Amino acid sequence: MSDPLIIAVPSKGRLMEQTAEVFAQAGMVLKKVGSERGYRGAIEGLDGAEVIFVSASEIVEQLKAGRAHIGVTGEDLAHEQVADMDKRFQIMRKLGFGHADVVVAVPTAWIDVRVMSDIEAVGRDFRRVHGRHLRVATKYMNITRRHFQANGITSYRIVESLGATEGTPAAGTAELIVDITTTGTTLKANGLKVLDDGVLLKSEATLFSSRAAEWTPETRATLAEIARRVASL
Amino acid sequence: MAVETSDSFEALEAQAAVIMAVFNEASYERVAPSIIQPADIFLDAVGERLRARTYVFTDQDGETLCLRPDITVPTARIYLQRHPDADTAARYCYNGSVFRYQPGGGSPAHPREFRQAGIELYAQPDEAKADAEVLLRTLEAVKTAGLKAPKIRIGDLGLFDALLDAVDIPERWRHRLLAQFWRPEAFRTELKRLSTVPGSAVEGLPADLIAKLDPEKPKQAEALVQEYLDAHGIETIGTRSVSEVAARLLAISLDAHSAPLPKSIADLIENYLAISAPVRAAGARIKDLFQRNDIDIGEALDAFERRLSLLTKGGANIAQATFDAEFGRQFEYYTGFVFEICSDEFGPASPIAGGGRYDELLKVIGAPRRIPAVGAAIYTDRLLLAAGGGAP
Repeated sequence: MSDPLIIAVPSKGRLMEQTAEVFAQAGMVLKKVGSERGYRGAIEGLDGAEVIFVSASEIVEQLKAGRAHIGVTGEDLAHEQVADMDKRFQIMRKLGFGHADVVVAVPTAWIDVRVMSDIEAVGRDFRRVHGRHLRVATKYMNITRRHFQANGITSYRIVESLGATEGTPAAGTAELIVDITTTGTTLKANGLKVLDDGVLLKSEATLFSSRAAEWTPETRATLAEIARRVASL
Repeated sequence: MAVETSDSFEALEAQAAVIMAVFNEASYERVAPSIIQPADIFLDAVGERLRARTYVFTDQDGETLCLRPDITVPTARIYLQRHPDADTAARYCYNGSVFRYQPGGGSPAHPREFRQAGIELYAQPDEAKADAEVLLRTLEAVKTAGLKAPKIRIGDLGLFDALLDAVDIPERWRHRLLAQFWRPEAFRTELKRLSTVPGSAVEGLPADLIAKLDPEKPKQAEALVQEYLDAHGIETIGTRSVSEVAARLLAISLDAHSAPLPKSIADLIENYLAISAPVRAAGARIKDLFQRNDIDIGEALDAFERRLSLLTKGGANIAQATFDAEFGRQFEYYTGFVFEICSDEFGPASPIAGGGRYDELLKVIGAPRRIPAVGAAIYTDRLLLAAGGGAP
């Protein structure tokens, strides 16, 4: 039998549950193969496909390397981990859950700052007064760098933050942040506001296909069948 | 080079020996800076966009390091280690590998690992002479290594600084234009804004508060801003103080009440930046433009002329060189004279060598004050191909 089409699916949490729900709605019931804790699976009635359960960020790597043909992950992670995502991945379908925005937020007390271009002006003044660059705390280093560059912002430094990013301005370890938010409540509670043009990315869970994967007539046929089913959503 | 055969390795080594002999003969001391450098210094000097083209990594101690993307900053660090007060004139030369990220691992035309040979001069009292020395010495090196018909292109960021100093324009606008100089599009937008509606930034900001602020009374402004924050239940957090917020609101308020930048000044700036011609003709056009506009930048123009005559005296075929007022805009650390040496083989997109004056850099990396510095680097892999010494 020829090699199957590999589908990478989130291995845990809400993301996994919602993926399973949406796939089931499209007539693709996911099932695990082997032991209950196994990381391999299949889709009922779709023999040409094999499912691998991995973490959302690992799915991006699998697609990038072409080890998975298609996969479900957040657009935020895809954009962060792949510089030229548009060239390497194709969006098959946005799945309508896992909504979150990647935003630029500054202290609400910065009443002189409303848009991205203000950051550059503040950054220059800040450097003169404090002798160092503004610090931007984020786990999205690449997204931040790309968008700041596109907005002509140069006077800043990135501080990598792997958790509780919204607390860094109050803690004094950064001046502003780039982070993911769903409702904005956490930002507000931490004395922060989103800039008027500070939404860098509107992200949701998305089914991507990989251009790097090996595409045979068989895997293409399976892809077409999956595309037909998700189109019904 | 992505892949080095023993032939090309030996050809590069032989060429490096020729180049370094030229530098040693002219009493440049050879230095060998570390390949692994602290990333912070580069990030402070170049900014975050450095990460887009540099291999930055964290070691087992959590220290953020990088593979050197050039040898200018590492050499400047050696100078500052030896002369922390930066009070001694010095001439250094180097030859070694540099590393730059290239999408997809790089190509023969844009490898991610290649070699540079170069020179750096620090704290030289006669700046025009040092500028000319760097170009002449680099020219001698590439010619000795076999480059047949070098094409020279020069620029002078000092002339632009002098122009902004000489025109009648508020200090804060001058700072803003200088800061945007490196981004031509943003610069044009800013110039247009200043010469039409300089106060447009007020939109969306607390107008009632801004109207109450008096530029003559910064302390009072700070109190008013604090009052506003209290009244709106806004907590002050972080390292940027209320007085900094007040200072910026004051500047915004000043802009709102300022007459636009006269069109004549905006035109003068744009006309200057459009100058691109053989150096002698360019010199005449600059003089003419400034005279017509009653602008006196005598000192900067004298330095420009003196540098040219030193270059001519030194044997450079300067009449053939091109002057571009915009040239130098893409490298943020340059502050004055800039130049490039190109070849017929590679054209203007891939210069064989380039360099210039960078008087601010040493202060950024720890010198006690602004230190005159000028240098140049030769892309030796390209030189080898252009001089016919390696397989194409």
